[in-house]
Amino acid sequence: MSVAIAGPVGAPVTRSDRVTTLLGMVALRQAWLLAVNDLRQEARDLELILTSSFFSLVVLIMLGMSFSALGVSSQPLAVPGMLWLSVAFVGALTLGRIFTREREFDTLRALLVAPVERVSIYLAKAFVTLVILLGCSLITVLGLTLLFPAAQPFAQRPMATAALVLMGCTAYAGVGTLFAAGLASSSGKNVLLSVILYPLTMPSLLFALVATRSLLEGHESFTTYLGQLAATNVLAFVVGAWLFEPVLVGVPQKRRGTARAARRRR
Amino acid sequence: MKKILPIAFLGAAALIFPVSVKTIFLDTPIENQMGTVQKIFYFHVPLAWIMMLLAVVCGVAAGIQLRRDSKRAEAVSIAAAELVLVTGLGVLITGPIWGHATWGKAWTWDARQVSTGLLWLIFAAYVLVRHYGAAGSERLAAALAIFGAIDVPVIYYAVKIWKTTHPSNDVAGSLPASMWAALWPALIALLLTSMALLLIRVQQELTDVTLDEAWVDLDDAGATKPNPAPGPTPATGDA
Repeated sequence: MSVAIAGPVGAPVTRSDRVTTLLGMVALRQAWLLAVNDLRQEARDLELILTSSFFSLVVLIMLGMSFSALGVSSQPLAVPGMLWLSVAFVGALTLGRIFTREREFDTLRALLVAPVERVSIYLAKAFVTLVILLGCSLITVLGLTLLFPAAQPFAQRPMATAALVLMGCTAYAGVGTLFAAGLASSSGKNVLLSVILYPLTMPSLLFALVATRSLLEGHESFTTYLGQLAATNVLAFVVGAWLFEPVLVGVPQKRRGTARAARRRR
Repeated sequence: MKKILPIAFLGAAALIFPVSVKTIFLDTPIENQMGTVQKIFYFHVPLAWIMMLLAVVCGVAAGIQLRRDSKRAEAVSIAAAELVLVTGLGVLITGPIWGHATWGKAWTWDARQVSTGLLWLIFAAYVLVRHYGAAGSERLAAALAIFGAIDVPVIYYAVKIWKTTHPSNDVAGSLPASMWAALWPALIALLLTSMALLLIRVQQELTDVTLDEAWVDLDDAGATKPNPAPGPTPATGDA
């Protein structure tokens, strides 16, 4: 495959520029191939899609039952919380399973020794998580629109709603994938994922919450909050990509007995 | 030196602290608008500064730990995280007391309160992961600490970026000399105490790692030593 690289007009394209651009494109292509592979496997057994969608539906019904008596004037305060709490719960479930296939079949090791950029693995897993979260959010948004009159702006402004849900889920997937990978590689206990995930995703969920409230109430500040949410997304992905390799693989270890000895003490 | 320095810090803090309390309650004038409750400022602000400093120390140490597998950096990271929890608890107790007296509400969900609460939660998660995580979870905890350190500038700039009920960052600069005279001893005493506790915890963690390594060495030596072959049964007197 030949790749043409065009530099800025008038600026000479150096060899290192070409190498950097090529590496970036290779990483993105690898990420795309890995994500397609994961989605293809998911399409065969539908495990994550079905379990996460069902869980979203159950959470939606529980929320509907709990808040059905809420007055229309109070609903704009409650609906954003219902949407993003549902995303938080479904996200924890999805992220707990996103590396399970690799762990069960020991393919994570194969993936790590393959000539694949580590950041590509991160981007691929984050993308798959995002796709599943978006699917589940669709169920939640549609359900909330049907159950609560105050959620009608979701249907009236579909593009704004889509942008909001995309932004909110992206930060969640960015941070969550990093720690799900870390737990998968450290044979960790999945209960710790929720302990780590909720404090770290709280800022993006808070921005998403206030942005949703301003969307429902028709405030002009909606775009400002969306911008702040986008900044959180960029931060989550930059730090996530930077930390992915050290968290997943670590550095070559000196002989250390900490974990082993600590296990014995317990 | 390792043992003397924490003791020296604690000794100095023990000398400065009574002077600080005397200056705060007897020498500094009572603030016009808030009254006596403003005295909590001399504990709340130094604790908040120390908490942020320790969070940055923890994040930097965690970064070094991730890049170089340094056990000293790991020990500093653990010790600083635990102290962030302690100082953070102090901030989160003194802040609402002050807020209740001045704003009429202990917790207003303002940006600085939320970001400080978030910092405390991140470091609580760090300590939980360090205590209950399986082998390899120290890398996860280090990543958590880095995210915690990123929260520090958010806390600082929260009052500038968002509308908050919290006083602005310029308040410290505009304090009269009499208030600074009370703030400095409180800050120095609390900082010395924190540094002493940090050094003690770092030393404890390093000793812990050394003990673990000795344990594994002993275990490995036992595993590589061949088992003695079963010898003839000792003869009894009757045989």
